[in-house]
Amino acid sequence: MLHETQTSSNDYLIKQLPVSTVFVNKKFKIIHTSDKWITYFDFTNRDVIGLSLFELFEDISKSWKKDLNNIIKGKAMLSGVENFYDAQKNEKWFEYVNVPWYDEKENIIGVIIQTKDISDTIFDDIKLEKLEILLRDKSEISKIGSWEYDAVQDKLSWCNITKRIHEVSEDFVPDIESGIKFYKEGYSRNTIAMAVDRAMTKGIAWNETLQLITAKGKEISVIAAGKPVFKDDKFLGVIGTFKDITDEVLKKVKTEEQERIFSSIFNSSYQFTGILDTEGTFLEVNDTALQFSDLRQEDIINKKFWDAYWWPIPDMVKEGLKQVIAAAAQGEFMRSEIVVLDKNKQPIPVDFSLKPIYNENDKVVSLLAEGRMIKEMVEARQKLKISEQKFRSLYELSPIAYILSDFETGEILDFNSSFETATGYSKEDMTNLRYADIIPDSSKYKLTNFLKEVDSIGTYGPFEHMFAKKDGTSYPVLISGSLVGNKKGRKLLWSTAQDISEVKKKEKQIREEQKLLKTLIDNLPLNVYIKDLESRKILVNKSELIYCGFKEESEVLGKSDYEFYDKKSALISREEDQRVINSLIPILGKETISVKKDGSITKFMTSKIPLIGPDGEASGLIGISMDISDLKQKEQELRDLINVTSIQNKQLINFAHIVSHNLRSHTANFSMLLEFLVDEEDANEQDNIIKMLTEASDNLLETLDNLNEVVAISTNVNLDKKPVNLNKKIAAAEKNLAAFLKKNNAKIINKIPDETYIKVIPAYIDSIIMNFITNAVKYKDDSRDPVIKLTVSENEKYTILSIEDNGLGIDLNKYGEKLFGMYKTFHDNSDARGIGLYITKNQVEAMNGKIMACSEVGKGTTFNIYFNDKA
Amino acid sequence: MTKLKSIAIIDDDPITVFGIKRMLSALNVSENINSYVNGKEAIDDFKSIIKNNEEVPEVIFLDINMPIMDGWQFLEEFITLPITHKIRINILTSSIDPVDRENWKFYMTRTHHIIDYKNKPIQKKEIEEITKAA
Repeated sequence: MLHETQTSSNDYLIKQLPVSTVFVNKKFKIIHTSDKWITYFDFTNRDVIGLSLFELFEDISKSWKKDLNNIIKGKAMLSGVENFYDAQKNEKWFEYVNVPWYDEKENIIGVIIQTKDISDTIFDDIKLEKLEILLRDKSEISKIGSWEYDAVQDKLSWCNITKRIHEVSEDFVPDIESGIKFYKEGYSRNTIAMAVDRAMTKGIAWNETLQLITAKGKEISVIAAGKPVFKDDKFLGVIGTFKDITDEVLKKVKTEEQERIFSSIFNSSYQFTGILDTEGTFLEVNDTALQFSDLRQEDIINKKFWDAYWWPIPDMVKEGLKQVIAAAAQGEFMRSEIVVLDKNKQPIPVDFSLKPIYNENDKVVSLLAEGRMIKEMVEARQKLKISEQKFRSLYELSPIAYILSDFETGEILDFNSSFETATGYSKEDMTNLRYADIIPDSSKYKLTNFLKEVDSIGTYGPFEHMFAKKDGTSYPVLISGSLVGNKKGRKLLWSTAQDISEVKKKEKQIREEQKLLKTLIDNLPLNVYIKDLESRKILVNKSELIYCGFKEESEVLGKSDYEFYDKKSALISREEDQRVINSLIPILGKETISVKKDGSITKFMTSKIPLIGPDGEASGLIGISMDISDLKQKEQELRDLINVTSIQNKQLINFAHIVSHNLRSHTANFSMLLEFLVDEEDANEQDNIIKMLTEASDNLLETLDNLNEVVAISTNVNLDKKPVNLNKKIAAAEKNLAAFLKKNNAKIINKIPDETYIKVIPAYIDSIIMNFITNAVKYKDDSRDPVIKLTVSENEKYTILSIEDNGLGIDLNKYGEKLFGMYKTFHDNSDARGIGLYITKNQVEAMNGKIMACSEVGKGTTFNIYFNDKA
Repeated sequence: MTKLKSIAIIDDDPITVFGIKRMLSALNVSENINSYVNGKEAIDDFKSIIKNNEEVPEVIFLDINMPIMDGWQFLEEFITLPITHKIRINILTSSIDPVDRENWKFYMTRTHHIIDYKNKPIQKKEIEEITKAA
């Protein structure tokens, strides 16, 4: 009780302690308080004496409690910092110093607690540290940076978050000026500068959304807040926070944009779009829907869906629409084609759908009503239907077989009646039929190829193929096809097959006909060709090909005559071609001469016939040439033969005339003389006449002898020719005539080489040589001795013996024609019989030779005798 | 009957010449009968006759087939001679060659002289007519 007494005595003192002090007993019950303590903790209106300290400070910290207990246990003075919330819920900070309360006996009877309000000195290191920790904790979560400005020290400090927001390094030391400069120039920087100024001068806090430009130049949005701190009206500094709200700003911008986009899509969509609540009330409707019916927002919004203008027969559809909305509200997606009225009350088909919209809890919160005008679609569908009908009838009636098969499996899914007719398969067979079944085994290898083609380009054909019928036979088709996909993604192959048996048959027929024609043309003994308008050959037969000197048609086709013939022949041929083409008048059986480039000459019987096209113009010409070179040759030979025979005939007639003349002249004499003799009486005269008759008779005999000689030559044409040595024959003749030559002082100069052989009839050559030598001497010029020069020369056909004399010579202008005639004499020689040269000539001609003479009167004559050695 | 001034026989056959002369002398148509063995001798003589302004024979018997110059060659030259009055030339031949007849016709067209063509043997009657007509 001592204590209590003491206490009472001390009360006044304690009450007036200048320091906020409280005395508590060991049970921490308040015994004394200073007024300051009461005031500070605002217990003015409460009687706190006797109350437990812990009752007063419910949330007293454990550390303080521990401290207090330790004091009771005798521990020395302990101090600490505590906070509490006052009646106004203000946080208050105080520093406490606990000292033991001793009685006179030094027994600890309680604790004296001195507190000092430090709420205003929160810049104490401890508090700052605590705050920093606190802020840091908080910042890490909410990304709120903090900062303090110590006005006393003029020191600005940023927490790490703040530094990160500014994108500066952690050792960055900011000051007020640099801090302000981080704000974006203009509104942000002005605002912050003014806010700081107001805070310092008027103590007004700020909280602004501003833009910062970070050290790295990034623009960010922050909520910058600051609160000035005063103590005793003295400005101590500012504490503040930064919150980076860039993401939120961006998000907000994005959201706004999305809303805008949504709204514009919503409004400008071609679809009618409305949002209904689950009861069918319009929340939104887009412009398209409004314009379609010429309505305003207020006509629709907050009205029921089924009450809208556009239902043609509202009463009938109302219940149905209600059900539809109810079903959609239950989460069903509703879709159907309906008819609505446009602003002109025209019914328009619409593809309508109602789609439930869920919130995050999977609850239907609203309904999205959409309508698409399908007028075009409906029309298109109508058209489609018609064209499908058309297709159907085509499909069924077409003579072309259609086959629909599964590309992957080869299953045949459908075919038309044409296919049935052609193959003998019926619809019942379809189930087990595979595409491969309608391809005969012999052409299955092709199947793989065209399936590959289909797979790569989607279509195949058209190409010729074979189809197998049900009965196992096959027929040719022209097939093509294309790949179509059905809705289920199944690859389907549409194939068409045209029966080309007939075509093939015709083709075969044509081919055979062509072959026949070709064989015919090729084997004709004629050159056949077809030329185009430019005279280029576009068809040649074998004869023409061979004539052109080639083996392959390709070497000739497309070439013109200029490439085969010499220029002149080609030019003539081209002119003919052009004439035929232009006039359309054929050239028939014209004899032409073609000279090829190698110089070989061919005579042709040529026909050129214009090929007249359907337009009546020539499209080219057909040429037919017959090689008549041989024919011409034969013709020439024949002509020559005719010439020969006609000459011979003439000779024969001539001979006959000569014979008749000669015989007649003698018989005429006989007849005349005999007449005289009959009437003659004078014996002398009779003798004379008889003498003349005898003479005439002799003449007749001689004539007959001569004729015999000539006839002998003509009948001996078949005597064999033999090679004889010419000089030997000449030597023999010289020997026979030796006396005659000597008598006439004749000289023979023989320049014929000894080895000269000629192919002759030996008897004739004797006679010929004798005759010429005799003649040369007989018709000598009396003023000089006869000289006979013999030489020989040769050309490709003949060996020519030349007999040159220096005799009288003959005026060939006068007598040339008769030189070799029978009984022609040209000189006054009494022994000229006019038979020698005639016989000689006949002999030479009988050996296929000829005689030529040249002569000059007074100088001499040269006879050239052509012996035909070759024939 | 006036006698012919002169007659020429051109023939290489002496028997024919003998025959004609004998018939002429029997008819006694001319005192002056000359014969030539070929055309050349005759033409040469006629040229000299013309040169001497004498008269060429009025009647000529002409053979065709003769050496040196035959009847045709003779005619060829004869028709060029400057003889204004008509001479009667009798071609006398044993030829039956139609060519000779053609030649005769050809020469007839080329001259004003009278040319006749006869085959041998010639008859006395024919000689008589020839000389009478002159």
